[in-house]
Amino acid sequence: MSVSSSRKTTRILSAELDKLITMPLIWRTFVATFIINLVLTAAFTSASLQGAADTKSVLNIGLASMIYLQAGFIILGILATCSEYTGGQVQTTLTTIPWRGLQLISKHLALAVFTFPAALVITASGVLYTVLMMQDTVAGIGINTMIQTVVGAAGYLTVTTLLSAAVGALLRRTTPALVVLLGYYFIVSPLMSDFLPRVHNYFPDAAGAYMYMETFSNEVKVLTPMQGTGIAVGWTLIFMAIAIVFYRKRDA
Amino acid sequence: MRAFNAELSKLFSLPGIWLAFLIGAFVPAVIAALDSTAQKEEIIAGVSTRLSEVGYIGLALGVQGIIILGVLAVSSEYLTESSESGGGNQITTSLTVVSSRFHFLLAKASAVTVIGILLSIVAILTTVSATNLILGEYAPAFEAPKLIGVVCYWTFTALLAFGITILTKNGIIPLTVLIINSSVVAVSYLLSKVTKLAFYLPDIAGSNMFMSDGFHTPFTGGLIMFAWVAVLFIIAVIVFHRRDVAS
Repeated sequence: MSVSSSRKTTRILSAELDKLITMPLIWRTFVATFIINLVLTAAFTSASLQGAADTKSVLNIGLASMIYLQAGFIILGILATCSEYTGGQVQTTLTTIPWRGLQLISKHLALAVFTFPAALVITASGVLYTVLMMQDTVAGIGINTMIQTVVGAAGYLTVTTLLSAAVGALLRRTTPALVVLLGYYFIVSPLMSDFLPRVHNYFPDAAGAYMYMETFSNEVKVLTPMQGTGIAVGWTLIFMAIAIVFYRKRDA
Repeated sequence: MRAFNAELSKLFSLPGIWLAFLIGAFVPAVIAALDSTAQKEEIIAGVSTRLSEVGYIGLALGVQGIIILGVLAVSSEYLTESSESGGGNQITTSLTVVSSRFHFLLAKASAVTVIGILLSIVAILTTVSATNLILGEYAPAFEAPKLIGVVCYWTFTALLAFGITILTKNGIIPLTVLIINSSVVAVSYLLSKVTKLAFYLPDIAGSNMFMSDGFHTPFTGGLIMFAWVAVLFIIAVIVFHRRDVAS
């Protein structure tokens, strides 16, 4: 059967999206992340309910759980690519879609299509909760800043997910991928920000954080949001490229 | 005894276990080395307030290797194999061979304990030498009771990871929770700022075995952590005993 190349791409994309949303673990991860984020936000909000608040601090508290939140999205990314390798699904995939590069790119695209709204829902719910709880103390809320920040945070989470997916595709097994990524984001990265703060700014997580920190953080800013986005996306593209090269060369 | 040997052999043939050994042996040393470098001037000047923590901080934060060991020991049993090799679980084979579930768990837990003790001794050796290398004559003396505390802390952590993984059957949740909790942004540490009850959590109580400024004495700290391990194990044994193998 001959299909035009644009039809082919849409079909691959929809197939990948289909695989993604029919995976029970993905939904469980999403729901668990959503609930844990709300619980954490509630904890942070009640801890800081004393004292006056402005837009800055509302955003600060609403997104205080970001550091834990990214763990859920790292899992999401790893699950998306590593699930192909449990039970040999990848062989079926490559029989029906014999174009490996195209297949892996479509997988990442499908993941982005799924992740961005999910991340938006989760970050927006956290910020919204904080706004509702603190509305008595809040002087005035800039809606535009808020939307900008929430979108930035969702973008950061999406980029993190794609990076995790690329690392997952590279390592092919859930446990090592999880250890490497969690080890970087939670152990190595905090150590680096203490000992090598200047280099650390150019790593995917620190650079990516500028995507949403601009409006509320009081820390010294080295990068603009655009530069931060560029660096984080660049890292993701590099990892995706490496993953694709290995995927094409390697025995499935 | 044969079951124990079999468990040891299974553990050593896991590909992921070498990652655990690598991380377990070197991460504490690296963290301790970084911390010592940062503090070197203060220590030499004699004004450091954290002299008693030097080196131990690495052993407290660098438990990721041992967590991986505990999690992998169980999660590898539940991994679905590829359809080419029948799509089965290792656990069905394991329980066919060792039909007593209690003995199976006991053998596995013993294997994890033995490897955990060995790994913690290696980690102590690398960490102590890293600290001595950087601080030279200013390095504090490492006392035996505290080092025994470290070995206990590491072994109990491995068994906690082991027990949680039996309940979840999947390595993702225990790995995520425990690794995040061993990091600088630990949830239990944040909780301890809010409520005194958090001092009874296993990791905080357990770290009192070798960190000096603890809420508990080293002995009670160890006891509390052991109580957590024991309770978790009883629950895990009951659940494992009643559960259908494949489910």
